[in-house]
Amino acid sequence: MKKAKLFGSLTLLSGVALTLAACGSSSSNSNSASDVNKLKSSTPEKATKKGGTVTRAIETDTPFTGIFSDELSTSATDSEVSAPADESLFGTDDNFQFNNKGAATIKLDNKAKTATIEIKKGVKWSDGKQVTAKDYEYSYEIIGNKDTKSQRYTSSLANLVGFEEYHEGKAKTISGFEMPDGENGRKVVLHFKEMKPGMKFSGNGYFWESAAPYHYLKDVPFKKLESSDQIRKNPIFFGPYKVSKVVRGQSVTFVPNKYYWRGTPKLDKITFSVITPNSATQAIKSNKFDIAGVINSQWTNVKSAKNVNFVASVPLSYGYLGFKVGKWDAKAGKNVMNPNAKMSNKALRQAIAYGMNIAPVAKRYTHGLSFQVPTLIPKQFGDYYDSSIKPYTQNLKKANKLLDDAGYKKKGKWRVQPNGKPLTIHLAAMTGSSIQEPIIQNYIQQWKKLGLNVKLTGGRLIEFNSFYDKVENDSKDVDMFLGAWSLSSEPSPNDLYSEKAPFNFSRFVTKKNTELLQEMDSTKAFNTDYRVKKFHEWQQYMKDEAFVVPTTNAYSVVAVNNKLTGYSTKPSKSNGNGFPNWFYIGYAK
Amino acid sequence: MWKTVLRRILIMIPQLIILSMLVFILAKMMPGDPFSGMINPNSDPKTIARLKQEYGLNDPAWVQYTRWLGNLLHGDLGQSYIQKVPVASLIWDRAVNTFWLSLLTVILTYAIAIPLGISAGRHQDQWQDQSIQVFNYITFAVPAFVFFILGLWLFGFTLGWFPISGSVSGDVNPGTFAYYWSRLYHMLLPAILTALITTTGTVQYLRTGIVDNKVEDYVRTARSKGVPEKVVFNKHILRNSLLPIAAFFGNTITGLLSGSMVVEMVFSYPGMGKLFLDSISQRDYTTLTALILIFGILTLIGNLLSDIIMSIVDPRIRVK
Repeated sequence: MKKAKLFGSLTLLSGVALTLAACGSSSSNSNSASDVNKLKSSTPEKATKKGGTVTRAIETDTPFTGIFSDELSTSATDSEVSAPADESLFGTDDNFQFNNKGAATIKLDNKAKTATIEIKKGVKWSDGKQVTAKDYEYSYEIIGNKDTKSQRYTSSLANLVGFEEYHEGKAKTISGFEMPDGENGRKVVLHFKEMKPGMKFSGNGYFWESAAPYHYLKDVPFKKLESSDQIRKNPIFFGPYKVSKVVRGQSVTFVPNKYYWRGTPKLDKITFSVITPNSATQAIKSNKFDIAGVINSQWTNVKSAKNVNFVASVPLSYGYLGFKVGKWDAKAGKNVMNPNAKMSNKALRQAIAYGMNIAPVAKRYTHGLSFQVPTLIPKQFGDYYDSSIKPYTQNLKKANKLLDDAGYKKKGKWRVQPNGKPLTIHLAAMTGSSIQEPIIQNYIQQWKKLGLNVKLTGGRLIEFNSFYDKVENDSKDVDMFLGAWSLSSEPSPNDLYSEKAPFNFSRFVTKKNTELLQEMDSTKAFNTDYRVKKFHEWQQYMKDEAFVVPTTNAYSVVAVNNKLTGYSTKPSKSNGNGFPNWFYIGYAK
Repeated sequence: MWKTVLRRILIMIPQLIILSMLVFILAKMMPGDPFSGMINPNSDPKTIARLKQEYGLNDPAWVQYTRWLGNLLHGDLGQSYIQKVPVASLIWDRAVNTFWLSLLTVILTYAIAIPLGISAGRHQDQWQDQSIQVFNYITFAVPAFVFFILGLWLFGFTLGWFPISGSVSGDVNPGTFAYYWSRLYHMLLPAILTALITTTGTVQYLRTGIVDNKVEDYVRTARSKGVPEKVVFNKHILRNSLLPIAAFFGNTITGLLSGSMVVEMVFSYPGMGKLFLDSISQRDYTTLTALILIFGILTLIGNLLSDIIMSIVDPRIRVK
């Protein structure tokens, strides 16, 4: 499930994407950017041999909870440590669109409003039992039944006919979940209330993408599922490896799943161990681990490491500067924009964006590992990304003119509002790595050059929990905020920016925006060209209105033992959960 | 004396209730809750709101407190919001890890500190004393985390003598000899490093005690009686010099369970200290309150134990 990765990733992002991550070494060397550009998205292809063990370091300060279930897990680390065993039902191409190369095939029928899913014959759980239609249904039951305390139930999933009734306890079964060949068959027909253009993408959220072993879990009461040994100690999956041992919070050991449907995996044993991020660089340089993530701020120390290949990928995420222009109306369940809010003036927002030196700062502090993103749709979405859009680059002259024309006159040191009242802008920003503070202070200095009095909310950077507490609740102390999003692999921005989206933290609502967002997810948008066109229009519109200004994203780099091959970050080579499929990984001959 | 002990234990009850209230209020005052890290377009705010309601996070603080207290009296510490297992089992896991690590550390600390202290006191101002003083200055001045990271870098990564993280290796089975060896092997480096830098206090107390006692009247009396120097030292001087160390012994015993945050962070050693930090940053209220309560109880019992030990080893002090 894409969702598994996304769930906790905001926490992660507050530390990674948002913080730009690097050590503020003054010897910023001009080669470093090109070093980064040379990084490949997979290890060199070589013939592999059988056998060997691989150790993988997981760098985190919080031990993994070890809930080995896509339906129940809530942490990103949990899905990371289950990657060799866990596999999603569907395969995708490199743009996250379903193809039929995964464990199951999928066929969407827009007229009949159904998805027909067939699990391939020979796709077996690691105890040798075929994955069945009932296993897929059981995922829905775990998510829908309130006793499991699963956090996965969403109104998008309730697009499946009868799922809401099941969730509310009004129905014993899910009426829209049809099993034409019975529970032990391999065929499933999902009946939807409505079809969405995004359904051809993995991570769309309208249907679930993994299965749960019904025969193995059926005797565990739903209330006890999340703490049961079947989930915590001896979980079973249908991926290439199976869990052989879990040391709670510390390590997981895997051995090959001899029933794996693609064939026999190459490695004899895989061990994932948790280490503190402080040790990450040493773990790589000493070759203690075969695979270890690079902490971006330690890059200059790590890049000289021997016997490793660095594999880089760009995560689906971005940092952004958002402007508060309204409030969330909890009763009506929608955002209400206030046209008279302090930040509702477009010229002011644009001027603030033109005041920022995003690209040079990212380059200066992160050795090229962070870079400016031009639009709110990441490049990885292929055609949906509008490559013609130029990002906001620093232009103080233009910014000053915008402010002058809009009536923000200078009175002494600072500019005042057009109505003559003093203008103080409160910026909320999260604590992060050591470079977070200098970067924010730099922006404040740039804005000062424009005569804009920007003050940090609370006078300093705010801890993650408090930050989102203030931003979510539209605190009066926040006029603009530096946040970050990790995205689903379905490109639609509706969940983040529509009128009814609680996550539209800017609270902007305009007719044009609502129109564009509705159009890109309308039935008309089943036509890809039309959908792409609407995506481009929306990106242009958002760039111009500058309610949300995208700032940076950062490479995610992994160091891999140079004797290993087959490690790839491409979506087509993933396990469907955003991690490499371990079936392809082995030692070179 | 037993009356006194009983009275002290009875006084602990209101102390603990006040402590638990404070803990509860402070925990609730922190911004955010166990779900605040979960906000995401793929999570339904309605689902989160429903779960908050089910977990009782929306109830007024006093309702939550009385419910918590009620469960506590039934021996139920609750379920961890983050780890999704009973808090008691979570803490038990960590407490066992911390206990063995601390025990090893304490043994090593005394094994290093007592001989050093004795030697320094006995050879006051001679070269032995001076080199021990230098050692003391260094271990006192170096911040713990710097010392640990350096040790980890040198002995864990560069020389590769010790494992670098965790409490046990992933491929041994509980109950076997290899398992216990792996446990011990993982504890050695953190224990030795901690022992090395925590000796300062003990060495100094012991040294000062010996230096002071050497010139006491009873020592002079013993010597003039013709008692052999060895006996004078071991029986008279040393015993009296150990008193200040005995005064802390109660807290040392209970401290075995509270663990050290710094060493556990650096070595990713899953113990009580690390659990405490994690439960703060993740707003795992149930675990957090249970831990603080346990730490509180341990401190109170530690003080009591210290008093009892003092009254046993030093007949001059009697608890009244």
